Amino acid sequence: MSQEMIGAVMVVGGGIAGMQAALDLADGGYYVYLVERSGAIGGAMAQLDKTFPTNDCSM
Amino acid sequence: MTLTEVREVSGQAGDFTVRLLEHPRYVDMDKCIACGECARKCPKKVDDEYNQGLGKRKAIYVKYPQAVPLKYQIDPENCIYLKNRKCGACVQACPAGAIDFNQKPREKTVRVGSMILTPGLKPFDPAGIRTWGYDVFPNVITSLELERYLSVSGPTEGRLARPSDGRPVKRMAFLQCVGSRDLNKAGHGYCSGVCCMYALKEAMIAKDHEPDLDVSIFFVDMRTHGKDFERYYNRAKEAGVKFRRCRVHSLEPAEQNGGVYLRYITDRGKQVGAEYDLVVLSVGLETPPSAAELAGRCKVGLNQNLFAERGGFQPVQAKGRPGMFVSGAFAGPHDIPQSVTEASAAAAAASLPLARVRHSLTREKRFPPERDVRGEEPRVGVFVCHCGNNIAGVIDVEELAAYAAKLPKVAHVERNLFTCSQDTQELLKKTIQEQSLNRIVVAACTPRTHEPLFKETLKASGLNENLLDMANIRNQGSWVHQAEPEKATEKAKDLVRMSVAKVALLTPAPPLTVEVKQSALVVGGGLAGLVSAHGLAEMGYPVHLVELTSRLGGSALHLYQTWRGEPVEGKLDSIIRKVTSHPLITVHLNSKVSGAEGFVGNFLSTIQGPQGETQVEHGVGIMAVGGRAHKPGEYGYGEHRRVFTALEFDKLHTLGDSRVRGGKTFVFIQCVGSREPERPYCSRVCCTHSVQAAIELKEQDPTRKVFILYRDIRTYGQREEVYRRAREAGVVFINYDMHEKPRLRLDNPDMVEVLVWDHVLHEPFRIPTDVLILATAIVPNDLNKELARIYKLPVDADGFLQEAHAKLRPVDFATDGLFLAGLAHYPKPVEETVTQAQAAMARAATVLAKTRIDLDSIKARVIEERCDGCALCVDVCPYHAITLEEVQGEPGRKLVRIEAAKCKGCGCCQATCPKLGVEVAGFTYEQLASQVAAALA
Amino acid sequence: MAFEPKILAFSCNWCSYAAADLAGASRMQYPANLRIVRVMCSGMVHPNLVMEAFSKGADGVMVLGCHPGECHYLDGNIKAQARLAVVEEMLDAYGLEPERFRLAWCSSAEAERFVEVVTEMTEAVRGLGPNPFRPTRPEDAQEVA
Repeated sequence: MSQEMIGAVMVVGGGIAGMQAALDLADGGYYVYLVERSGAIGGAMAQLDKTFPTNDCSM
Repeated sequence: MTLTEVREVSGQAGDFTVRLLEHPRYVDMDKCIACGECARKCPKKVDDEYNQGLGKRKAIYVKYPQAVPLKYQIDPENCIYLKNRKCGACVQACPAGAIDFNQKPREKTVRVGSMILTPGLKPFDPAGIRTWGYDVFPNVITSLELERYLSVSGPTEGRLARPSDGRPVKRMAFLQCVGSRDLNKAGHGYCSGVCCMYALKEAMIAKDHEPDLDVSIFFVDMRTHGKDFERYYNRAKEAGVKFRRCRVHSLEPAEQNGGVYLRYITDRGKQVGAEYDLVVLSVGLETPPSAAELAGRCKVGLNQNLFAERGGFQPVQAKGRPGMFVSGAFAGPHDIPQSVTEASAAAAAASLPLARVRHSLTREKRFPPERDVRGEEPRVGVFVCHCGNNIAGVIDVEELAAYAAKLPKVAHVERNLFTCSQDTQELLKKTIQEQSLNRIVVAACTPRTHEPLFKETLKASGLNENLLDMANIRNQGSWVHQAEPEKATEKAKDLVRMSVAKVALLTPAPPLTVEVKQSALVVGGGLAGLVSAHGLAEMGYPVHLVELTSRLGGSALHLYQTWRGEPVEGKLDSIIRKVTSHPLITVHLNSKVSGAEGFVGNFLSTIQGPQGETQVEHGVGIMAVGGRAHKPGEYGYGEHRRVFTALEFDKLHTLGDSRVRGGKTFVFIQCVGSREPERPYCSRVCCTHSVQAAIELKEQDPTRKVFILYRDIRTYGQREEVYRRAREAGVVFINYDMHEKPRLRLDNPDMVEVLVWDHVLHEPFRIPTDVLILATAIVPNDLNKELARIYKLPVDADGFLQEAHAKLRPVDFATDGLFLAGLAHYPKPVEETVTQAQAAMARAATVLAKTRIDLDSIKARVIEERCDGCALCVDVCPYHAITLEEVQGEPGRKLVRIEAAKCKGCGCCQATCPKLGVEVAGFTYEQLASQVAAALA
Repeated sequence: MAFEPKILAFSCNWCSYAAADLAGASRMQYPANLRIVRVMCSGMVHPNLVMEAFSKGADGVMVLGCHPGECHYLDGNIKAQARLAVVEEMLDAYGLEPERFRLAWCSSAEAERFVEVVTEMTEAVRGLGPNPFRPTRPEDAQEVA
């Protein structure tokens, strides 16, 4: 493939799925842009009563 | 990047250019210390969307107390200053000078190789639809509102009270499928897939709070098809939660007491009514408008349900849009484990085409060489943080600093306005070097958030990062004793004294790293094994694939289509070809793993094959040994020539067997071997399979009579579409109960007579049947147990492999470097197997991407002089990291040995050892005892 | 001056210590008698350590871990429970009231529960009076003076 390739991935959405994807990509050797519309990541899961030990984000 | 939106995407897979718009936060993230002073002073109260509008927040706020980043933001819609240029109370209040009303929206353009879209979900809004009375009766709430009411951090702090008058709730009803499986009122034909579970969970939590609470769940089908979900359902039944199979047709105000009156029809056809204090609408999930917009901007296609279009064999690839991947609730109505699995799968799929440019944009941090402080007397530096006014406003920091200076071994004390600020880090570095400090105590906030920052500073100043301790005088000091400044100061002194005592005993621990063997072992050559082996090889890692039989393909060899109707055979053949021809994959047929040792990055497994044993080194392992179909011992199976399992039927159907071709009446019996006392789980795929097969039988010949006898139809998620089509095609669905299973007469060899109770006619119903199809359970492979023994992996009560965490680590094992996928984990359909295999591959790739991995320094070590080889610690270690070994050259003397790479530092060994012969670095008995002694001095 | 007990808590990093942090972030108030020793897991606390605290004069000792099933290390908290059962016997041998020791569970989100447990414990121990092994402390001397 002659086309230039960029070793970065954008993840749009900072919910549980976005955070997991971002972490796996960063650990896999890619630069990650995690883009979230609201002021904090966490998404819908943070609203659930039964929460688990805090998920820290790599960003 | 928070408060940021995608505006436009151009370019193509491998090289997209994305234009972003960042909205102003009006708070400088670098300066904000999240003390909350601003919000206390802000005069503007706003409904709190985090608490579902049930509580209030201010115009300057954090979404919730554990938010990441924990930085305040101003909501421009409600801020008085931004609206009218008046107020500015927050500017006055902020001790860090972080408020910045001059921030403007900023555009940014970035280039990326792939994109993953996970914009999330929106709960269905039942307002405006009269049947549910949501905006009519105050005591009708949504399940999400209930979730907040039940939460101790919610608006009622966990008490269950009627919204109308605050009186305690005695009777509560859940109405399922609100906004799901309902094209008429909600416009959503699909099942949301999560509501049955959360209703069960909420019902159980509510009963926990209030044991006498009467809870009824009104449902259509209970869909507890996930791992361990059925058990939860059974527990709820035992706990007295009442389950009523019917749709409630109307809600009315109760005549007295302000409750809600429900009218419904029982499963015996009687119309009844009952009154409830609280009615909870179990609302479904839908795609929010912002996500649909995002899809438009990214040119990602949505289906009629507004979920992203994708296929069964590339489940996270946006259909027809290379380089774009989807996961989470945007891909379909998914629960948490499915979303997390898909997210990892999307990471794998998104990075696979970019494997060539891996590491091209990431950098490693470099630190100066470490100063050797062994042999030096401890010189403790104590840094007391004011945290603006957060600490200094309560605790007398001058007195604290003066006190600290007099403590033994303390060489230097300093106070900082914000010890965590960027410029203070530079100052810290200088002070450490100038004063040759070799132990550091930071008296500030909590190590849980700030220890990593100060560790970096220690490293940057040439000190080992473990020579640090934090005294938590804010979260566990000034903030919790605001009214008692003297006591708070006394406590802070104690905490600093404890930290100084401990830090003096801390020893530098060299960072532990282990080499990573850049190769993988995949056990199981079914679909899951094939997908993950192929993916890892494409990423450039050599793979050993071990298959017990003489043929690759596993259970998928017996499947002929996915629920979307995509043929399986061709796809399976193609991936088998790719795997067998891949230069980096070694396939071991007729083989199995017979032994293994090692740990993450360094496993050594023995493969037993036709040619004898081979040993392979590998950095990671994926366990995907599959499952198999249950062979029933009931319903005339094996006795009558017209009774088949579902897979046998598929084969006969495809081959055109005369019994099927000429058959006029077909009966499917669901849950054969599943959801039984000896197998209390749902096999997840059988409902969809039977419904699909039934449709085909009808399509081939509409005069055929096709019956499905079921307990609950579990066509979860978008599979509901198939169920709807079957009913339209005239397939007859008859419900049966566990205690009223269908009965058979088998005396006629050309016909099976099926007898089942008809709930509509209220009499036994007799079906003379040409072909009886048993939807049999998927059972775990015996290999699971063998693998579990070899790799020391947990197996659940049903014989499936047990993941590290059901929700957050669905494809990892607790043992680092080992992952799982496919039927070995739990019954699942093709697309979920592929997703899970890709997820396992992504997780494995996070290990393989590094040539060496750092291990946490909190590890247990043996003190050989004290260890007498009693081995009590061996059994308590949850990670099997401890072994008992004979000392070389000293026959008969045994000592325990700890595999550092396996140890996670929990210290169960330390607390068990009668001789203090094992200790955890940073938390040794002596160190903890020094804190105890200092606390009580 | 009334008797102010000194209470020591071994709190696990993942649950109860986090709950204590959250209590702070939520500005909940509780008695200032508590001193927390952070441990990685409640399963790390050796029974001797608890007894050492009593022999050095702690008026009350708590071990606070994650709820059963939520342990960060699979089941360290369950092991703690089994192992610390011996503490009660030892207290008896020392002639100390069993109420001076408490093992409790508290998730990282349960700041309120943390505060409740700590407050209850403080009041209970206050009612029991000082640990007879408690050495004379400077503040006690002031009391006499």
